[in-house]
Amino acid sequence: MLPIRFDQAKPFLTLGLALAAWLVLPVFFKSFLRVSFFEMQAPVDTAVSYTRDLKDFWSLRNHSKNELIEAGRDLARLNASYELKVQENVALHAEIDHLDGLLRLPSFENYRAEPARVARRDFSSWWQRLIIRKGSNYGLTVGAPVIYTGGVVGRISEVHAYTAVVDLISSPEVRLAATLEDDTRPISYQGALTSSFGPARGVVEYVPLDIFMLSNQTRRLVTSGLGGVFPPGLVIGTLTGVSASADGLFKTGEVQLDPRLAELTEVTVLVPLEPAEAKPAPPAP
Amino acid sequence: MPRLLPTLLPLVLLTLLVSQLNHVLASWHVSLFVGGLLVVFAALRLDFDTGFAAVFLTGLLGDAASPVRFGTQAFLFATAFTLIFSVRGRLPRGEMLVSLVFALLANLGIFIALSLLLLAHTPLPFGVWPRLLLNLVCSQVFLALIAPWFFALQTRTLALAGFEPRDTSRRLT
Repeated sequence: MLPIRFDQAKPFLTLGLALAAWLVLPVFFKSFLRVSFFEMQAPVDTAVSYTRDLKDFWSLRNHSKNELIEAGRDLARLNASYELKVQENVALHAEIDHLDGLLRLPSFENYRAEPARVARRDFSSWWQRLIIRKGSNYGLTVGAPVIYTGGVVGRISEVHAYTAVVDLISSPEVRLAATLEDDTRPISYQGALTSSFGPARGVVEYVPLDIFMLSNQTRRLVTSGLGGVFPPGLVIGTLTGVSASADGLFKTGEVQLDPRLAELTEVTVLVPLEPAEAKPAPPAP
Repeated sequence: MPRLLPTLLPLVLLTLLVSQLNHVLASWHVSLFVGGLLVVFAALRLDFDTGFAAVFLTGLLGDAASPVRFGTQAFLFATAFTLIFSVRGRLPRGEMLVSLVFALLANLGIFIALSLLLLAHTPLPFGVWPRLLLNLVCSQVFLALIAPWFFALQTRTLALAGFEPRDTSRRLT
């Protein structure tokens, strides 16, 4: 009877031994294994992403000349309006620099914008991430903020050789300091996993008690700039309602995020500059 | 162990295919999970060492691309593999229906275990369950649809590598 029993217990014994061996395995070995396994998959994601781009290119080539002429005309109009905005921007920057100089404030322009294509979206039941086609080869760093035309995308959580992983703001791992657009007091934002077929969501905590909202009212939530990771004023989402928290000291609320977050194909990483690369502080008057 | 590579190849292929499919489905906030399918063929048809190694390595591959503690999915897969392996002697394991039922059960178990492990720190834990349920239903339907193809692919890959699955099965009874 004994050999039969041992034979039956052998699979469980092996599993237990494997678990014990895994628990005592040095962390650097596990880290090395993790990076190796990720890098093995990365070329597949990148290759599929390039193939998708090629497919888009060929589908765009099928457009007629009239459509291209119309698109060119629309772009020319858009460029003209942007030219005006650029001129305004230059004037505003000069004004800011002047005021910074007068008040001896440190410069906030400590980021380099690095556009990157999205290689793969990974929106599982438990996390929401993007894999982008740039990594340490472009100097990306862990924790760097990622933005797009609609505001904040998320934060870089892993940097690999040719790819990087971005935790989306709808992911529960992402917490950041925010403010309401017409308010300066900081509140805490955290991503919350979304319902299927619906827009992404987040939650806010520590909302001051004097913030009131009607049932059909919404307010924009922006980054506060506190913590130094995200520059201030970037759009996070829309606060759709607040209610008193359990302790009654603050309020909590739900944030609706931009539906475009689920369809992103290109994002911009704000790479923090080294002190030597950063714009020097304006001279004191 | 010579069977490890031909066993591992279809598992890696399925993992990569499902990740690309999830990329397409991301716009609808729907995602598919087929962890149970990765376990069943190896547990029902292969020897313990080869199956365990293949399933564990596939789990590590999934862990590397996920924000979970490295080894989480590997050990969940290995546990499911061990449980199925320990009862396979009492099953008509060559039957497609048996493989399919065990794949669905294993997928359900791994999905629930992962959800309980990962959603403890979510700010709206109860709000997430409807989505989890929908994803689970979609995953189970998808798994049931592709399981016959995947079992055939695994059998064929082993045969191409010179290992007759039927012989393998008989040897391991």
